[in-house]
Amino acid sequence: MKKKMLSALLCTAMVAAALTGCGGSGDSAPAAEAPAAEAPAAEEEAPAADAAEAPAASGDSLVYWSMWDAAEPQAQAISQSIEKFTAETGIAVDVQFKGRTGIREGLQPALDAGTNIDLFDEDIDRVNTTWGSYLLDLEELVKTNDYEASANAGLMAACREVGGGTLKSIPYQPNVFAYFYNIEIFEAAGVSAPPTTWAEFLDTCQKIKDAGYTPITNDNAYISSLFGYHMSRLIGEPATEEVVKNGDWDNPAVLQTAQAYEELASKGYFSETIESNQWPAGQNTELAMGTAAMYLNGSWLPNEVKDIAGEDFKWGCFSYPAVEGGVDGTEASNYGAQVFAINAKSTKADQAFQLITYLTKGEADALLSEMSVGIPADSNNAEWPALLSNVKPVMDSLSTRYPWGAGAEANADMTPIIIENFTKLCGGSLDAQGFVDALKAAGN
Amino acid sequence: MFDGAALLHLTGIGKGVTGLKKNKTMIVVFLTPAVVMFSIIFLYPIIRTVLMSFFKIEGVTDAMSKWEFSGMANYIKLFNTELFRISMWNIFRIWLFGGLIVMGLALLFAAILTSGIRFKNVFRAIIYMPNVVSAVALATMWLQYVFSPKFGLFRSIGKALHWEWLEKFQWLDPSHLFIALLVAYCFGMVGYHMLIFASGIERIGTEYYEAATLDGANRIQQFRYITLPLLKGVTKTNITMWSISSAGFFLWSQLFSMVVSNTQTITPVVYMYQNIFGAGNSMTERNAGIGAAVGVLLSVCVVLIFVVCDKIFKDNDIEF
Repeated sequence: MKKKMLSALLCTAMVAAALTGCGGSGDSAPAAEAPAAEAPAAEEEAPAADAAEAPAASGDSLVYWSMWDAAEPQAQAISQSIEKFTAETGIAVDVQFKGRTGIREGLQPALDAGTNIDLFDEDIDRVNTTWGSYLLDLEELVKTNDYEASANAGLMAACREVGGGTLKSIPYQPNVFAYFYNIEIFEAAGVSAPPTTWAEFLDTCQKIKDAGYTPITNDNAYISSLFGYHMSRLIGEPATEEVVKNGDWDNPAVLQTAQAYEELASKGYFSETIESNQWPAGQNTELAMGTAAMYLNGSWLPNEVKDIAGEDFKWGCFSYPAVEGGVDGTEASNYGAQVFAINAKSTKADQAFQLITYLTKGEADALLSEMSVGIPADSNNAEWPALLSNVKPVMDSLSTRYPWGAGAEANADMTPIIIENFTKLCGGSLDAQGFVDALKAAGN
Repeated sequence: MFDGAALLHLTGIGKGVTGLKKNKTMIVVFLTPAVVMFSIIFLYPIIRTVLMSFFKIEGVTDAMSKWEFSGMANYIKLFNTELFRISMWNIFRIWLFGGLIVMGLALLFAAILTSGIRFKNVFRAIIYMPNVVSAVALATMWLQYVFSPKFGLFRSIGKALHWEWLEKFQWLDPSHLFIALLVAYCFGMVGYHMLIFASGIERIGTEYYEAATLDGANRIQQFRYITLPLLKGVTKTNITMWSISSAGFFLWSQLFSMVVSNTQTITPVVYMYQNIFGAGNSMTERNAGIGAAVGVLLSVCVVLIFVVCDKIFKDNDIEF
């Protein structure tokens, strides 16, 4: 009998241990999760904040899931500003740097599971489109706090547009997608002003080539944008998106775009290794090293390559040129920002908004801009980082907003196929008709 | 695994059938945790995944009330999608060609290392080394250095040896990226499978080889008629491990096509990921149901491979 009792007791202990190992469930989830969730934050914050003072351990702090990796300059700037924010307001913040992948994979399941998250951030489109139903409407908070007095009007409008007519997110770290170029190469080639039309673009390429440089380079990660931007210049972005989504490869704009790029390839305007450029090879070994002149990319590019290019690298910027008879001109491009959003179920929405305001204005915004070589969000922070001084006129000139890749990547089932064949087109191993035929074949 | 006899012996109260009947409660008590755990951790996800594959589901954690029944639509879409077919072809190529290369080299190295050569431990450590290094570091080394068309290792070797074909070979262009991926991946996997083969060879008694030597068999004949037949079980283990790692091929694919996927490197798991979490930087349609259908199809493939392997490598007919 004793043995039986002992066995039963051991068995119970085993089951209890196993269940404990599996963690809490149901109502107990948030309580059980709090300490676990704080652990990485405490680790990551360690260099910035004194662990003994870290109020995150109280379990009553504001929980912020960040898209940045702890080692990135953005994360370091945000950590420093949060430390100051806590010191000034007494509001404890448990910031967890999840990284892009962590947020993308983990946020929605965590929100569905009722995890205690007050605010989070990511790209303007993903936050508003993918996670739109989890967001708190911020119109009232913005109005009460007069937030828009020093906010970027264009980006606030973009947030309202993607939020379905209402404001559900606050922009910061604005960015713009355009041609970035090496001013010194332009000068050496005798190009006095960046091109605004396709004819000027061709002329610029020829001059650069004659001067002994590679006019254009790119990488597999961004090359589809060349296709998207040219198509969107010709027929507009919504029509481009329709072509890509519906496989309407017989649309004359597809062949026209392909012919334009066939011409660039045949004239030798692309890097010799364009077909082999796996990101970041093109931007690092060609553009930043000063052998190639132009690269269509985002305003994060100067920051990404600054250690290779050096501080004396003179960055120029121009919007994708207008094409003859096209619908859109240089006023259209992809511009946007990372955005903060508040969980609709947060019980600390006011405090969360206070933190967002703190991070997107004044000193914190300037610090983020400086440390990450990014564009400031606060319109009072008029001084842009020196590397981006030529980006400002382009950003200010934009009035039509394209989504990412100007619609070229709207159909995930076609993106790799477009990239493969467009890369071959740029490398000269496929002609314009061959490009169109390849896309048509893949659609069948 | 539950062993009733051992349990009865341990508890000391099992006396034949009567004892077993008396202790049904104990059996239930001991079995319940395992059954419950198995059901929660394995059975429930499997059933849920199969069920999900018949629905259109936007978010992977969406409540069942949000699921839209779509019948076989997910499977039909998969079979009609060129990119998915490409991904299946890629995984098949990785499994078959990669498998042949890795198993061949692993067996060769294992045979050499167990043949009594000097510095055996040093060579074994060197060949196993890539398994210790992070895959991210390895892939970056291959992609940005070894295969680089500007200053790559292969380019330099080609130049030094005046082999123009090697010097000019574009490893990373859309026509050769798959070969580059295969070379890099196999480089990292040989050591792991070599260790398994080596342990299998070391298990074979030396008396067989001694007898064969006395009978006049040379080293190659010994390998062919002694080592290989006695390695059937280990080969089966190696193929099983290789098949499992091939079916879940994800990280190397991601590392060889950063930001957006590529026709040469996309695999079904990457395709699944794109359907569940979105592709690249663009806002694309998500459908966890398609992701689940990919998972189901992959499972079927793996089961098929196991069945075929089981038929081919019956290792229970030789005892040594």
